[in-house]
Amino acid sequence: MNATSVRPADTPAGRKAFGPWRSRANISAWTLSAPAVFFIAVLFVYPLLDVVVISFTDPTLSLVNYREFFSSPLYARVLGNTFWFAFLVTAICLALGYPLAYVIVRYGGTLGFALLLVVAMSFWTSFLVRTYSWLVILGSKGPVTKLLAWVGFDPVPQILFNSFATTLGMVHILIPYMIMSIYASMQKIDPNHLRAAASLGATPFQGFRTVFLPLSLPGVVNGCTLVFIICLGFYVTPVLLGGPRDQMIAGLIGEQIEELLEWGFASAMAVVLLATTMALLAIYNRLVGLDKLWG
Amino acid sequence: MNFLRALAIAIGAFIAAPMFIVIPMSLSDSPSFAFPPTGYWLGYYRAYFANELWTTPTINSAIIATATMFVTMALVVPASFALVRFRFPGRGLVNFLLMMPLMVPHIVLALGYYAIFSPVGLTNNHIGVIIAHTCVSVPVAFLIVSATLKGFDRNLERAAMSSGAGPLRTFLHVTLPVLRPGFLVAALFAFIHSFDETVIAIFIAGREASTLPRKMYESVRLEADPVLAVVSTLLFTLVLIGTAIAAATRKRPVHAT
Repeated sequence: MNATSVRPADTPAGRKAFGPWRSRANISAWTLSAPAVFFIAVLFVYPLLDVVVISFTDPTLSLVNYREFFSSPLYARVLGNTFWFAFLVTAICLALGYPLAYVIVRYGGTLGFALLLVVAMSFWTSFLVRTYSWLVILGSKGPVTKLLAWVGFDPVPQILFNSFATTLGMVHILIPYMIMSIYASMQKIDPNHLRAAASLGATPFQGFRTVFLPLSLPGVVNGCTLVFIICLGFYVTPVLLGGPRDQMIAGLIGEQIEELLEWGFASAMAVVLLATTMALLAIYNRLVGLDKLWG
Repeated sequence: MNFLRALAIAIGAFIAAPMFIVIPMSLSDSPSFAFPPTGYWLGYYRAYFANELWTTPTINSAIIATATMFVTMALVVPASFALVRFRFPGRGLVNFLLMMPLMVPHIVLALGYYAIFSPVGLTNNHIGVIIAHTCVSVPVAFLIVSATLKGFDRNLERAAMSSGAGPLRTFLHVTLPVLRPGFLVAALFAFIHSFDETVIAIFIAGREASTLPRKMYESVRLEADPVLAVVSTLLFTLVLIGTAIAAATRKRPVHAT
């Protein structure tokens, strides 16, 4: 990437004089990165390791917390719920985000620019603000309930504090990530490829299917990975919009700490969540390369 | 393809409408979350600015985000220079360490910080939150600073040096001015990242260092305080201003996710 600079370590003389481990360049590099490395190692990695340790040692040194988690059908349901929910939110984000990104890139103009601004605004607006909005929209005094009552529902079905509300809220919160990822890869597609396909007799749909769609797939993979992983560990919105029956793993962890003070068990669940996230990222790293994810 | 156009507008409306709804809500005179509002007044704005339970968390958030921004930049800028300009043993590991906070769910971190900080008195305390927020802001700032550095043409430095400027002079008069916009964006991201961070703050900030997102969360969960609409509108207005500036200064705003 940046190998062009002159570094003493790479000149034969430099290597002879200092050796690769003692060269001045290495010492500068280590010195420059030392504060950040030290800070992250002590104040980030250590707390994480502590969670792992607690999961195995509280209340006693054993696997009891993990056994409790994996043997109970209740927790299996929470885990299943979490994955299903993350999958559903990702799928909806993709279904809505792809056409939107397509219109932004291919149609452009005022409409494209306006849509891009809306997505950017949403991206930058705190998810708490947006969660609050959904509480208003879906609430018992909100517009949707009024509309349903007007249409003739009696009694009006409860649309807040269930998995429907959570899914809607999470799609709204995470869709900007999906659109931005897809938009970034669509923008790189040379429109001449599509013209070439058309000149060779492809219909617009064939051109899209055989040329545009494959070229936009990296953005799709990126967006889906981001949305899925963020969704797996999301705490606030499912707690506020969801009901007690469709609890997710993050909410369960929070509850164990705040109300039950079950440290060992909460830590074991945190380790399961962490390991799942890391495994997904490792797969992504293997297939695509982690440095592309945050582009 | 008019169907696609209509579909895109509908999805755009789905994204936009819930954000704009907070504006009329903030002017509502109803004590609950009724929409459309039954009447309009400015009473809840007065309530926000007069109530310490809201202004103190706002000030806390500003303090914590500012401190987080400075500490983050102090850590990230030198580390980015090292990673972009040198190839050294352990470079991959350093890179991984700096990016790691982006990969860990915040609820896991919140648990870890709670466990580590409560015995040493760093919960219920600004410094604890600043430490945690700095960790999660490091990768965000690092991505931007290192991208800026990679785009820097080192011939500028060579030109300065060959014209007789020393390393310090070169850095201050050539390197820094060219990189400044990127650094400012990174600092802004670190600030916003801290200002918006909710989950860790919920668990470790306590009453003393309660941040605005924490207060908003509690307010939704416990009391459905209509002042929430005011805070949401103020936050959304900041976003609107930022978007307007971005739209005015460039034809197309650029985002780093």
